[in-house]
Amino acid sequence: MRTTLESAHYEPRTLQQSLAERCRRMVDLARAAGADEAEAFASARHGSSVKYEKGDLKLVSSDEGAVVGLRVFKDKRAGFASTNQSDDAALEACVRDALATAAFAPAHEANVLPDARPWVERVACSREMAEADGELLLELGADLVRTTREKSAKFSLDGASADLSRGVQAVANSRGVLAHESDGLVSLSLMGMAIDGDEVGGFHYDSGAWRSLAAARAAARPMVEGVVDICLANLGARAATSYKGPVLFSADAFVDLFVAPLVAGSSALAVQRGRSPLAKLLGQAVASPLFTLRDAPHDLDLAGAAAFDREGVPTAAFDLVRAGVLQGWLHNAHSAAVGGTTSTGHARGGARGVPGLGPHALVVEAGDGGDESAMARALGRGLWVERFSGTVDPTNGDFSGVAKSSRWVDGGSASHAVKETMISGNALHLLRQIARVGSVHTLLGGAAKAPMVLVDGVDVTAG
Amino acid sequence: MPQPASSTPSDDRLNLLEDALQGAQAEHVLLRWHHKSTRSVAVEKGRVDNAASNTYSGIGVRVLAHGSYGFASTDRPEKDAIRRAIEAATAAAKASARQRREKVAAPPPTQLARGVWESAGARELRERPMEALLRLCLDSEAAARGASATIQSATCGYSEIHEEKAIVTSDGARALVRVARPELRLFAVAAKNGQMQRGVETSGVTGGWQCLFQRASAAQMADSAARKAIELLEAERPQGGRSVVILSPALVGMLVHEAVGHTVEADFVLAGSVARGRIGTRVASDLVTLEDSGHSEFLDGAGGLVEVDDEGVPARRTTIIEQGMLRSYLHDRESAAHFGVEPTGNARAWEYDNEPLIRMRNTYIRPGAGTLEELVAGTQDGWLLEGASNGQADSNGEFMFGTHEARRIVGGKLGERMKGVNISGSAFEVLQTVDAVTGDFRWDLGSGHCGKGQPAKVDAGGPWLRCKVVLGGKEA
Repeated sequence: MRTTLESAHYEPRTLQQSLAERCRRMVDLARAAGADEAEAFASARHGSSVKYEKGDLKLVSSDEGAVVGLRVFKDKRAGFASTNQSDDAALEACVRDALATAAFAPAHEANVLPDARPWVERVACSREMAEADGELLLELGADLVRTTREKSAKFSLDGASADLSRGVQAVANSRGVLAHESDGLVSLSLMGMAIDGDEVGGFHYDSGAWRSLAAARAAARPMVEGVVDICLANLGARAATSYKGPVLFSADAFVDLFVAPLVAGSSALAVQRGRSPLAKLLGQAVASPLFTLRDAPHDLDLAGAAAFDREGVPTAAFDLVRAGVLQGWLHNAHSAAVGGTTSTGHARGGARGVPGLGPHALVVEAGDGGDESAMARALGRGLWVERFSGTVDPTNGDFSGVAKSSRWVDGGSASHAVKETMISGNALHLLRQIARVGSVHTLLGGAAKAPMVLVDGVDVTAG
Repeated sequence: MPQPASSTPSDDRLNLLEDALQGAQAEHVLLRWHHKSTRSVAVEKGRVDNAASNTYSGIGVRVLAHGSYGFASTDRPEKDAIRRAIEAATAAAKASARQRREKVAAPPPTQLARGVWESAGARELRERPMEALLRLCLDSEAAARGASATIQSATCGYSEIHEEKAIVTSDGARALVRVARPELRLFAVAAKNGQMQRGVETSGVTGGWQCLFQRASAAQMADSAARKAIELLEAERPQGGRSVVILSPALVGMLVHEAVGHTVEADFVLAGSVARGRIGTRVASDLVTLEDSGHSEFLDGAGGLVEVDDEGVPARRTTIIEQGMLRSYLHDRESAAHFGVEPTGNARAWEYDNEPLIRMRNTYIRPGAGTLEELVAGTQDGWLLEGASNGQADSNGEFMFGTHEARRIVGGKLGERMKGVNISGSAFEVLQTVDAVTGDFRWDLGSGHCGKGQPAKVDAGGPWLRCKVVLGGKEA
């Protein structure tokens, strides 16, 4: 515990070592208590946050703590327990709970832990992030709020935040895995809407996370101005026209709608368990040749960058789809054991749950479709979806939802905001109808990178 | 409001918090000791993917000093650690006061909770062995998977959250609250001729084991999930457009939560939501009376049960819309003071290290008269929509939420079953089109949670209701 705004004495290296030691100790405790195999994953956080509401400062807070999660195997039966308490009694209770649970679970041959592999540190908490404090957040937050006021009096800031997130992760297992890494990011977010007399426009939001203060400061103003511009343009929304045909998707909408079901279907577990619509399409075209999707865990622009996964397996770049062709499945240790292969380093999750499966940092490769204006010209007439608010069924790719902060394009440029306009179709089928991929990457909250994409054959229903 | 089990609680945690509070230099201090323990099991295709128990515990501290708020937390239930957290939160409040334009006054006196509250079934649920939970999931998953040769895969997930909270404020709240929130989720995936469809059944309550299965047993839920997946294999997508629809209680719950509830959260109102300035005006047809309650109205087991909110305010029933007229927003103590009304008990925090926010609890439309059969018979051209998935509301009142299945109604008769679609509309415009509300009632958000920076367990429901919305279906 520390005072929020005083200069912090934060030593990520020391914390890494102590967390790794706690993991190793938990593994030893579990083995001594009867576990055949054991894995401990711990995460510690040390951050501050400044929140704004209604354009005014609402709350300054600090956050500090650590959680350790223990997975044990006994006679191929698995159990898991976690705690955020660090005293001996709590850690011993955690071991007892995990083993007690394993005693009742059915055995499975693929309940295995990965062997140790060499790994190289990829990210680290920089000195400036280690030395940052709450005063920095107050400064960044004040700039953010000031920018919205300067930009337009019609903009109402519903909420905004500046956060400093410093974390350390460590994992150890009984097969020799021992890995630890620190990270430090500053993130900004805002959400608001435009109000003009009695008219309230639809809200819009954006966020970003950066590993350097210079990058955060450089990105903040364009991000804020972008949100305000979109909110102002949301005023005066009118009905669109119903049609079936090409729709232009922002990077955000495209990833939500089209990439999410593709990633869900690329999970080896989904394939092995009969719930992946891609199961029989490995090595075949699943999308237009214009489309390439990769997991880039070493791309430091992305918040998910990491040297190792939730099980301590080193990460590596992985193409899910290259030029429209499905390249492979994402594996963790369990799915790899079921499939008779090795983990691709895609175990995901935190210390409070068992490892799941998924990508770290997604990148949709940019194409040669040009910038926003060129993409709108290519659409000519139709709907430009900025944000998708709806449902995508990961089992089959069916989607239906509302086009939010979206525009009607006529004569190759945006003419007006639309209201009560819904889109529907099948994302996995429509991936084959990608007509054009933009040249400019957008960083999506630090989580993914993608360009704008023009997709043909979408159902548009105007209310 | 239900009376506390004990009105003069003597408890080590309350005593610890009161002890730590002594001498705090601030306009207002809120201390919340929040112990959360969970047990969870997940089974897919016969393999136990997850069998876990978790503990997450600590003390959240919110301080009002120099007209501004600061928040800090500690995972150590010790007096010195709590005092350091109070100092940290105080320092944060004082530093932020330099930037805060509109200073916050200490909250006005109000009725604060003093006592012990415990939800029914919490102790019995905790004593149920992990072995029984594993057996439930293994059997239910096997039942769903074995229901038909077309079922490719099934998943069963069970989780229960046990929460204990001790809440002490510098102006007199002293409450101890224990709740248990079990949930069961069943998914079945059917495949045929290259088509795959998913059927879902969930149940989530605040209460015990019997309460979780009061509407359907696990076996019935497994069978229903499988049947839905199979039936949807043959289903087509409906035509899109503005249509007359009959919404199931689950969808009425989504309508009131997404379309109305969020727009009347006072923090969102102050930011300029579509409900701002409309108290006392007509926003719905006179068939609509819409409420949000911390209690389980009409039926036991509402998932969002809150007896005392996380500011120590007794949770009450709030009438948001009364026979079509907007009557109230949802408040915490700060927003209630701003509007000059009593707080409604809607301040909620997900875990000890989260600050309380204005959140819904159990939101519903009060039942009217008549039956679903009469409603269908009286509909010439429309859709019967059932099953809720995700939803979202916008500041301008435009909402959307997903449905699982749609059935055509022509000439008062139910027709073919079709795939669910998302529906949309402007909240207050749609509520003005309500022309029939049945007399029955169901809580029906199942395992649903609400997201607003932090999750919150909420419930919603009501009767069946007829209105006009936009369907996001296919175009010619």
